[in-house]
Amino acid sequence: MGCRVLLAALLVALPLAACGTGDRERDAAAVSEAFHAALERGDGQAACDELSEEAASKVEQQEKKPCEEAILGLELPKGGTAAVRRVDITSAYIGLGEGSADFLDEGPEGWKISATACEPTASSDQPYDCEVEG
Amino acid sequence: MRRFLKQNSLSIVFLLFFLGALTGQAIAGHADFNEQQARHGDPTMSLSRYVVSSEFGVDVMENWQSEYLQFSLLILGTVWLLQRGSPESKELDQAGRESDEQQKVGRYAQQNSPLWAKVGGIRRTIYENSLLLVMGMIWLGTWFAQSVTGLAQYNSERLDHQMDTVTWLGYLGKPDFWNRTLQNWQSEFLAVGSMAILAVYLRQRGSPNSKPVGSPHSSTGIEG
Repeated sequence: MGCRVLLAALLVALPLAACGTGDRERDAAAVSEAFHAALERGDGQAACDELSEEAASKVEQQEKKPCEEAILGLELPKGGTAAVRRVDITSAYIGLGEGSADFLDEGPEGWKISATACEPTASSDQPYDCEVEG
Repeated sequence: MRRFLKQNSLSIVFLLFFLGALTGQAIAGHADFNEQQARHGDPTMSLSRYVVSSEFGVDVMENWQSEYLQFSLLILGTVWLLQRGSPESKELDQAGRESDEQQKVGRYAQQNSPLWAKVGGIRRTIYENSLLLVMGMIWLGTWFAQSVTGLAQYNSERLDHQMDTVTWLGYLGKPDFWNRTLQNWQSEFLAVGSMAILAVYLRQRGSPNSKPVGSPHSSTGIEG
C-alpha cells in the first residue's frame, strides 16, 4: 500500500515538475523578441521595460544617461526572432536566429532580460561575452 | 480504530515524521533559496512555486535514492553476508537463499501462505524477490529523478552566469551529480555498517533491532 502511494506520488510529481516548461519558454522568448523589436523601432522606454533592474542600471552607469536614451546608443541587435529557447527553473536562454543570445531571469513581474547581445567564448565552461550584463 | 492505530503505529508514526520533516524542509529550503537569490540580486520565488521546482526536487530526491539504495543493499547483502554476533545477520550456517522448506514455498507452503509462494514458475520467482525488486525500482526511479532535477538546477546556475547548458548525459559526468550522490551514499553505508557492529555489543531492551539484553555477544541472528 505504502509503496503504491509512493509510486503514485512519484508518477504525479515528475510530470508536474516538467509541466509548463513550453509556456514558460514561449513567455521568455516573447520578452526577448519584444526587447529587440523595441530597439528596431527606436523605442528606448519599451526596451528598458524588458530589462531587469540590475541590467537597466548597468546601462545607465555605463553610458551615464537615462536607460531609455542610453540603450539606443549601444551596439545591440535590432529586431530578431527567438530560435533557441531554454528554461531551467527561473533562468532562461534565448538564442536569436540572427546570432547573439539573451539571458533572462523570472521574477514576480515575469521574465526580464539580465544580459543581452551575448556571444559564446572559446570554452563552453566560460561565460558568454555580453554587451549588457546585469 | 484505537486497535488499528496501535497495531500500525510504526508505519503511522514514521509517515507523520516524514510529512513533518518534508514540510519543514520545504519551508527552510524555500527561505534558504530566497536568501541566496537576494544575495545574488536575483528574483525570489513563492513557496508554492518552490515546492514544485527542481531546486526542491533535487534536494528531496538525492536523499530518497540513497535511503532506498541502503535498504535494497541491506536486503540483498544479508542473504549472503554475515556478521558474527549481530542481530542484523542470519545465523552463521544460514548464508544463502535457503531451502524451499526453510522458506515455506512450493510444497512446503502453509495454508495461509501468500498464493504466489504456493505456486511455481515466474510468479514465485517474482514474489521471492519482490521486496528487493520494488525497493530497487524505487531507488533507480528516485536516482533518475535526482539526475533530472539536478540537471535543471545545475543548468539554471549556469544560465545565471551566462554559460551554456549541459545535456542530461553531460550532467551524469559532472562532479555536481556525483557529489550529491556519493555524499548521501557514504552516510547510509556508514549507518548500516556501524549498526551491524554496535548491535553485537550494545543492547536496547525491547527493540527487535537488538538482541535480548542478556544474550551473549557471540550469539548471531537473535532478535529480542
